[in-house]
Amino acid sequence: MASSATQPVETEWRLPDRGTVGIISLILTEISLFSIFVIAYLFYIGKSLTGPFPKDVLEFPVLATICLLSSSGTIVFAEHALKHRKMAMFKMWWAVTIVLGLVFLYETGVEWHDLIYDKHLTIATNVFGSTFYSLVGLHATHVIVGMTFLLIVFIVTMRGFPIHTQIRRVTFLSWYWHFVDAVWVVVFTVVYIVGR
Amino acid sequence: MATVDYPLEKSRRQREFSLSEALYSWVATVDHKRLGLMYMTSAIIFFLIAGVMAMVIRAQLIVPENHVVGPQTFNRLFTMHGTTMVFLVGMPIIAGMSNYLIPLMIGARDMAFPRLNAFGYWIFLFGGILLYFSYLGANGLFGAGSAPDVGWFAYAPLTERAFSRGTSTDYWILGILVSGIGSIVSAINVIATTLSMRCKGMKLSRMPLFVWVMVVDAWMVILALPPLTAGQVMLLFDRYLGANFFNTQAGGSAVLWQHFFWIFGHPEVYILIFPAFATVSEVVPVFSRKPIFGRQAMVGAVVAIGFISFGVWAHHMFAVGMAPISNIFFATASFLVAVPTGVKIFNWLATIWGGKIRFATPMLFCVAFIFQFLIAGLTGVMLAVTPFDWQLTDSYFVVAHFHYTLTGSFLFGVFAAIYYWFPKATGKMLSETIGKWHFWLLVIGFHLTFDPQHILGILGMPRRVYTYAPGRGWEPWNMISSIGAAIQAIAIICFAWNVIRALIKGERAGDDPWDAWTLEWTTTSPPPEYNYETDPEVRSSRPLWDLKHPEDPDWKYE
Amino acid sequence: MAEEDTKHDYPDAVDMPAPSFWPMILAFGVTLLLTGIVTNYVVTLVGFVLSARAAVGWWRDVIPHELHEEVPVRHPADWAVPVRTTGRSVASLRVGAAHHRMRIPERVHPYKAGIWGGIAGGIAMAILACIYGQVAHGSIWYPVNLLAATVLPSISQAGETALGQFQLVAFGVAVGVHTITSILVGVLYAVTLPMFPRRAPLWAGFIVPLFWTGLIAATLALTNPALNDHINWIWFIACQIAFGLVAGFVAAKTQRIDTMQNLPFIERAAIESQWSEKPDGKGRQ
Ligand SMILES: [Cu+2]
Repeated sequence: MASSATQPVETEWRLPDRGTVGIISLILTEISLFSIFVIAYLFYIGKSLTGPFPKDVLEFPVLATICLLSSSGTIVFAEHALKHRKMAMFKMWWAVTIVLGLVFLYETGVEWHDLIYDKHLTIATNVFGSTFYSLVGLHATHVIVGMTFLLIVFIVTMRGFPIHTQIRRVTFLSWYWHFVDAVWVVVFTVVYIVGR
Repeated sequence: MATVDYPLEKSRRQREFSLSEALYSWVATVDHKRLGLMYMTSAIIFFLIAGVMAMVIRAQLIVPENHVVGPQTFNRLFTMHGTTMVFLVGMPIIAGMSNYLIPLMIGARDMAFPRLNAFGYWIFLFGGILLYFSYLGANGLFGAGSAPDVGWFAYAPLTERAFSRGTSTDYWILGILVSGIGSIVSAINVIATTLSMRCKGMKLSRMPLFVWVMVVDAWMVILALPPLTAGQVMLLFDRYLGANFFNTQAGGSAVLWQHFFWIFGHPEVYILIFPAFATVSEVVPVFSRKPIFGRQAMVGAVVAIGFISFGVWAHHMFAVGMAPISNIFFATASFLVAVPTGVKIFNWLATIWGGKIRFATPMLFCVAFIFQFLIAGLTGVMLAVTPFDWQLTDSYFVVAHFHYTLTGSFLFGVFAAIYYWFPKATGKMLSETIGKWHFWLLVIGFHLTFDPQHILGILGMPRRVYTYAPGRGWEPWNMISSIGAAIQAIAIICFAWNVIRALIKGERAGDDPWDAWTLEWTTTSPPPEYNYETDPEVRSSRPLWDLKHPEDPDWKYE
Repeated sequence: MAEEDTKHDYPDAVDMPAPSFWPMILAFGVTLLLTGIVTNYVVTLVGFVLSARAAVGWWRDVIPHELHEEVPVRHPADWAVPVRTTGRSVASLRVGAAHHRMRIPERVHPYKAGIWGGIAGGIAMAILACIYGQVAHGSIWYPVNLLAATVLPSISQAGETALGQFQLVAFGVAVGVHTITSILVGVLYAVTLPMFPRRAPLWAGFIVPLFWTGLIAATLALTNPALNDHINWIWFIACQIAFGLVAGFVAAKTQRIDTMQNLPFIERAAIESQWSEKPDGKGRQ
């Protein structure tokens, strides 16, 4: 224990990956954003002065929900295939994910069209309309953003880009996609179960 | 040495200077130090603009029934003053200080996401320009209004289409929303940098307190800003698509806007004060020649403040008539913040106590900060008492209180930071003589301006009135307050002169002018693009102490 | 010189992220995209095109590999001066020898001393108060009832004669309040006594009791209006000083114990290790 001896610096020096930290922070800030819209929806339940009311016009979006939730599984399969360099499997599962996402968006579009033109509920009709379209719309916007990235990955892969060099980024994209799915569970519960 | 050939460097030096290239090098830069300086410079420019607005406001209020500006202009002035100071001065200063200092302090070469960092700066700047473009562009639609005039917290239903015609409120929404993206992006960057880019040995337990405070600040930004963005998006829907979020005639709730705004707004005031905390926690030990007292307690207090600040927002809303249980909850939670805040104040004092104090300009600003922040905290506790708040809410007492936090504390902390780190960033020392003039004029001006405003509030003067009738006992206090504002303006001129003088003919700073203890002082002033030639290694929370005192290093005790 | 060029132990150049103006274009594009809301949809369109182009440019910067530029390392003559290690030194610290990194007080009176001191002081105070009751009002129960009135306002409303009579409830309450307060103040004394400046008896016996008497005087009208009406301040102060002197004396008489604050955690936890204190107390070296 001579006083001149210097303390050895830690030999093991591991830090979390910056991308991982970044994407987790991004998801947290998105959660904060969504929670305000969810709170607004919960706050305004039953506060509409005029119809139409949720119980009159909302139907369970069963197909859309099944599609979106199962896409979380298919993207995991795709990721798994990519890690094992099974490119054909990757492309297949990635395409399935995209199709499932598109079905979800299509179903939402059909629902909105029906609500607007047949049931005469717009964002300006009452507070139910305001909160419904903004919450579901915010989620749909996130699906569209995720879908854009999924499509970009798919297109560049089909054109021969070596996507297996980008496993890290693909993983982050899949995390984002899982997050969008998880938010749908909350939105679905709040809008179609609690709110009805 | 001159014969040594460094090919890369040579090729660089031989390049001729050209304006377009220099411009390109700033526009395309992803260097954290340049971006930090750009943030600080933009913030200071916005600070001067908003400061001039404050001068006009005080000129208007210097005597009763004055007519420097009309009521419309006055409303725009205080709205733009507040909005600018919070979003275009406070937020970029946070980003600027974290950007410049965090990589240097943790021994990294750059931020975690350098390109994202550049994006954050530019979108903040464009957001700010968009807000100010409202002076020219907001005549749209109905030809009514120019700059926003709804106050910095833009209460509904005043902001609804029916009451705020034209597009001025939309400029307020969009300007803040856009620059808010920049704040979020830079906060994410700070978090990733501190967690993932630390040099060898820089454990969290050894990280400088500055970095600790700023990373907690970044966490608060990413959680607190989205509620404001969400509220603003709802308001945009109300204004453009006819949604009914805050439209009370269709079942909407104006109070909900207040909740959303203050869920953001209260953490925001702590977000703004944190850079000052961070600076004082670095400057006070160096100028007292003692390690910080109670390091762990300081970290714990910052984290505790971060948590509690999310549960106190409705103390801004006691006057709207919430349920008694809400009043009690939010009052109690607000008292609770005083505990960790008190811990911080006592620890700074304990650091100074018994130290070998050097009263250089940064230290002077820190001492004034501690004193003024204490008073700000005390009036804050007073306002957290619900019945007290009922009496004084929306009065000049509140104005005095939050200017004690934002001018007396935040601004003083930032000046301490500028005087302390300016030598590192530029290689030049600021003049101590002018610095002391700056300090004393600012202290005197500050107290002359804001101390009488407490009394004005108790005498019943409401905030945001553009003029007042004589004979209510308000005249002398307003007169003193306006004179104080003028003295503050002179202090700021001293500061500007000091900076310009130092840049032109300032004394050379050397690597470590203050005999400090954190890593940034081991590199040159200004640091090279890559910060450190070789990666630093750290053994304690004061790496430079260890190097300077090998016979008694800190790591033996930690 | 030429040799130095080939065998220096620092890198020739450092890889830094390459400059890129795409972030700026993207920021501008996003701003325009939103500005369209308050101006014209054409602005939004331009913003969209710019953002899309900038996004592609940005991706090209980072995919497949992040672009770097080599920044040449400066000539060593331009490097930072190595941090000074000579010229000044600090004396090596020994535990308890100096004020640096020392937590005070090092030795305190045990809590037990405070409890006994508080009880003794409380008794002294009670005796003096009863004497006052006997002398001034002809009843030792007078001060007891007044104290109880803090908790039971009904007692004070009963009138002057009732204040002189023995009441069981009032007696119980008064004894309870008095005991708890005395013990708490006694413990406070024990903890703070070592921290008092010189002349502890003066502080403990006179100044501190006068200080809290001042506090009581300022607030008594609110906390116990009855007592405030009937109080005799001279006697009251005498009682407080009696408490201070006795409690301080009893507490100060006890043996102080070491706080062990200056021992490392390991030692306080009674674990033997290489970092343990040597028995001669000479410090860690
Ligand atoms: Cu608040």
